[in-house]
Order: sequence, then structure tokens, then C-alpha cells
Amino acid sequence: MSDPFKPRPAFAPWDRRELPGLFDVEESARRVGAYKWIETRLFEALGGWIATVPELDVKMILGRHCYHHAWHAELFDKRLPELREMNTDRLCAPANDAMEEFVEALREPDAPELTIEKLVGVFRVLIPRKIAAYTFHLNGTSRVTDAPTERSLEFILQDEWNDWREGEMLLQSLIDTPEELERAIRRQHELEAIVVRAGGITGLGTIGATTEVEGAGV
Amino acid sequence: MTVVSIVPELFTLIEFDAERIKEIASEVAKSLAFPSDVDVHIEVDEVLPAPLNSSQADYLGGRAELWFTGGAFEDTHKGRHIDEVLARCGLGEALLRVKDRISGGFEDAPNDSEISERQRALWDAYADGRLTRLEGFVVREPRRRYVYRLECGFNDVADAAYDQLWASDATTWADLLEIEARLMEADPTERDAKPSARRISLRQTQ
Amino acid sequence: MRKQLPPEMLARDSRFVRTSIMDQILDPRNRKISERTIGPAKLAPGRPASADRARNLMHGIFTGEIQALEGAGRTAFDFDETEAPFALKLDMARQCWDEARHVEISIKLGEWMGTEIGEFTEATFLYEAACAPDPVLRLCGVNRALEGLAIDVFNTMKEFGDVSGDPVLEFCEDWMLADEVTHVKMGSDWLRRLTADDPERRERALDFQRTVDKLFSLGGFRGETEENPIHLARKMREMAGFSTTEIDEIAELSELARAEGQAAVEAAGSA
Ligand SMILES: [Fe+2]
Ligand SMILES: [Fe+2]
Repeated sequence: MSDPFKPRPAFAPWDRRELPGLFDVEESARRVGAYKWIETRLFEALGGWIATVPELDVKMILGRHCYHHAWHAELFDKRLPELREMNTDRLCAPANDAMEEFVEALREPDAPELTIEKLVGVFRVLIPRKIAAYTFHLNGTSRVTDAPTERSLEFILQDEWNDWREGEMLLQSLIDTPEELERAIRRQHELEAIVVRAGGITGLGTIGATTEVEGAGV
Repeated sequence: MTVVSIVPELFTLIEFDAERIKEIASEVAKSLAFPSDVDVHIEVDEVLPAPLNSSQADYLGGRAELWFTGGAFEDTHKGRHIDEVLARCGLGEALLRVKDRISGGFEDAPNDSEISERQRALWDAYADGRLTRLEGFVVREPRRRYVYRLECGFNDVADAAYDQLWASDATTWADLLEIEARLMEADPTERDAKPSARRISLRQTQ
Repeated sequence: MRKQLPPEMLARDSRFVRTSIMDQILDPRNRKISERTIGPAKLAPGRPASADRARNLMHGIFTGEIQALEGAGRTAFDFDETEAPFALKLDMARQCWDEARHVEISIKLGEWMGTEIGEFTEATFLYEAACAPDPVLRLCGVNRALEGLAIDVFNTMKEFGDVSGDPVLEFCEDWMLADEVTHVKMGSDWLRRLTADDPERRERALDFQRTVDKLFSLGGFRGETEENPIHLARKMREMAGFSTTEIDEIAELSELARAEGQAAVEAAGSA
């Protein structure tokens, strides 16, 4: 064994974490607040929809996923005070008016015949958008200074991937006819159009793009 | 043709039609090749609802004496109404067992009021297995298996005996007693030997 | 999506058939059956129609779990954070996951007991308690009263699994019991937290709980004797945070409900 008192580099050769990152404390907090807002609106919607879907398997999966997103919201809520945001409600807000409009549209379907519309909004629009935003945060933030956010995002992304896969499979099993396919595409188009205007779940620059989007209402 | 009689002839608490039950019983007797010189008497206790499902099937004084709780024929979706599929199956099980008593190797079996729940579960498995192999009966096998396991034990010996009975076309009362002894060895849990779900206890008034 | 979804709008596939509690109450057989000696009502092998009674009860548990899942989900959605704090919503989401597992367990248990989904009818009274306009009332009616009842039911079923040597039933009920104890605790905690400065609201909620408790003890369904199919699970209830006085009160309510049920049947008979 080598001499335990011999100085070693503070960072192992394979540890490529760097300083600084893309976000300062304030920006990280703003993003985390937006994450908490979207996760909360999502778990509420999944909870509300359980009673409105007749498909038993979908009902149970919504129940399970409802908790996953609530747990994400809780992790972000706990992170906010550590980012100097003592009032955890202040930043728990939509990034812009278009995001608010998006969530309203996402949560709108109610009737028992609209399971495809409900699931497309979650699994083909919102969750891919969340995966993109969280991945960008993970890749852009300093993994030294923002390590607690990073750790939460790693857990959360694992959930998001698993839930997305399960939801996508549910949709594939529900879409049988050309009409159902048409419904799914139309729904995705409607919601994507709003989210494009919003610029993503944290608004303009969600995944680093900086082009101004018309009508986002920022 | 088998002569069927029923009590009551008019149901007052439930929406059963006595004539229709007689018709079903005649059809069932025919499809089981039940001896046509043996009259069938059916009593339905309309007070007892599902899930108090119970029945007895004896051969007394040269006549088939069948007794059912109303629940045994009751539609689980529409209370107080008959489920003809269920009634057909219940009558099939009962008449098969009376046939067993007349000349099918169960001549020396005690009356239903004297046999244990476990013996009854064994016999019912034997009856239902045969019924599934006949046209026109919808036997709910998973239910039968659960009723059987509850009385005979949740173990491999009991399961093997069930499969044996289910597949058999020639079991006797003596065979049943032999299986019962095997089950006792596999699961010596003490069980109430009295047939408490039957006619005598259920029909008594306070 | 609308807020406050009424029970008649609960979405079900074509296997499910809804029933009304009134049909059961007005069944003309009730009076006659109360005159019979049908043996102890407690479930056990060798007891009257135990298998079919257990299958029927298990299906009732299954539909109850669906409604508990739906009710918890609605409480997470129906209120804003001024009415239902964020932490309460998180608890409700957690309960959704638990109840979804209970639905899964119930389906598998139903299969094990030879029962098909929808074989028996569904009554929606559990969800009805989850429609109260005040979240505290929901937590008292559902988490404290009905999930308290679930503790009694699961404990009874667990004992039934034990005496009948059914390893699957006993295993499943044991796990579900653990979750329900947590849900009852949630109800008790939130009742205390949300009504700390509002004794009137607290009293309203407890009143609602008593009404639900009494309704579900109807006709001696729950109690502490061999005549009650469902037994009051004192030890488990203590773990869930009920005081001895509260448990005594439920026992008294159950006895009262039994006596009233009997009187109603007699009155209907002489009318
Ligand atoms: Fe539950
Ligand atoms: Fe629960």
C-alpha cells in the first residue's frame, strides 16, 4: 500500500466537474421555483384525473405517477431555502403567461372519453419538456456549487424517464384506430404550440436557446 | 320425463319465478341423464340472500330433495333477481350429487346435513369437474377452487387432490374418505366438523 | 377539469355495476333474516358460506380502494393552497400511490379467491365522504372514519387468512394494514394542524366523522362480538393514533347503530 500521508490531487483525474457553471444562485433558484410550480400543477392534475379515467390500469398508474411528481415538487421545495429563497411560494410560479396557458390547456380535459388527450399532454408534451429542462440544468450548472440540485435532478430524471416510458406504452396501447391517432396528433400539436410560445418550462432559454419567442407574454 | 315440484310456488320477497326454476331443473335433469323415474323436489329459501350461498342435495324416500338458499341463484348485479346461468349450474351440481347417491358410488354417503364442509368441498369439486365437461353449464372454476382450498387446505396435497377430483368421472364416497384422510395428514388444523352453513341451522327461526 | 367531481361521474369500465345503499336498506328480506339463527357472523372456515362472504367482502374492499385512490387524488386537485396546504397535498399524493397499490393487491387477491372484477356491485359511499367541501371534513370522514374501518376490515380478513391457513390473504392484508395505519395518522395530524385555531371547524369535522362511523356500523356490521362480521381492531387503532376514549366511542356508536338498525327493520315489518 502507498504512503497514506503522501499528498494526492484534490480532484481525482476522472472528476471533470468544473467551476463556474451557467447559473448563479438567483437563476438556479428561479429555475427550481419554476420546476416546483410545474411539478405541483402536474401532480394535482394526475390526482384529479384518477376519478375521470375509466381504464383501470391507467387509473392505477396515474395514482403512482401522482406521487412521483409530488415527491419532485417536495425536493424542489426543500431546495429553495438553500438557494436563499426563504419564501418558497414566491418563485413557485409559471415562467410566463404562455406557461400558465399551457398548464390550463393541459389540465382541461375532463370527460371519461378523453384519456388519450389527458395522457398525450403529460407523456408526449410535458414530460419530454421536463426531461429537456432538467437535463440542460444538469449539464449547465456547476456540479460543484449546485451539487444538491444536481443530486435531486438525477433522481428526478430517473423517474421522468421511467414514467415517460410507461406513459408512452400506455398511449401506444390505447391508440388503435386512425381517428385515435388523429386525436393524439392534434392534441400534441395544440399543446406544443403553446409550449413553443412559452419557450419551455422555465421560459425563454429553458434549454439554452436565446431567441425571443413572439407572444410568450414574458 | 322427470317430475319437478318446488316450494314456494310463489316467491314474495324476491323476483324468482317458480315455474322457470322447474323448467330449468327439467332441462338440467335431461342433460345429466338423471333417472326419469325419480321425482325432484326443490325448496328455495327466499329469505337468505347472496352471499349466504348454500345448498343440500339428498335422496330421500325415492325422491331427490334439493334445498337452496335464494342467494345460491341470485344475480350478483341485480339483487333479488335470478341468475339463470348460476341456477342451472347449482341445479346441475345438486342433481349430479343425487345421481351419485342413487347409483354412482355414494350410496352409503350420509345425508348432506351430516357431512362436514370439507367432505362437501371434495364432493363439489368432483361434481363441478364433471359439469364442465358437459354442454350448457358455466362453472366458475376459480371460485370452486377457492371454496375448496378454504375447507381442504392451502397446500400441494390438497391441490393435487383437487386436480384428481376435477378430472375424475368415477369417484366414490370411499375414495372421498381416503382423500380426506390424506388432507388431514397434510393440514391437521382443526376445523369445525359440523356442516353449519346448511339447511338446519340456516332455516331455524329464533 | 372541473373541481368537485360528484360520485355519479366516477369513471368505470363496463365490468362495473353500481348499486345504491337504499336498495340494500329497503330489501324486504332484511326483516325476515333478522329472525333467523344463522350462526356466528365472524368469518372462519366451516362457518356459513364463509368463502362466498369473504369473496364478496374482498370485492367490496377492491372497489373501496379504487374510491380511496380517487378521493385522495381529488383532494390533491380540488383545493388551492390556501384551503389545502402544500404539505397536505403531498400527503394526498402519497396516499394515491398507496391506494393504487391497494387496488393492485385487491385485484390479485380477488383472483386468488376466484372473483372476477365487477362480479359484485359497487356502492360509492366511500367516495361520497371524499366529496365534502372542506378538506378537513374529507380527512375526518375518509382518513379517520373510513380508513379506520379499513383497519378493522383488514385486521378481520388477516385473522381469517390466519385461521384458514391462507398464506396469500394473510400476507396481503398485513401489508395493507400497515399503510392504512399511516393514512389514519395523516388524518389525525391534519385535523389537529388545520383546526388548531378553529374549534368550531374541528367540531364540525368530528361530527362528520361520527356520522360516517355510525353509517358504517349499520346493522351491526362492525363491533366486538362474534355476531359482528367485522371486528373493531383496538390495538391497530391505538397505533394509528386513536385514544382509548375514541375507540370506546366507536364501539358505542357501533352498538347504537346495531340497535337502531334492528329497530328500523322491526318498524318496517310492522308498517
Ligand atoms: Fe387502502
Ligand atoms: Fe388508505
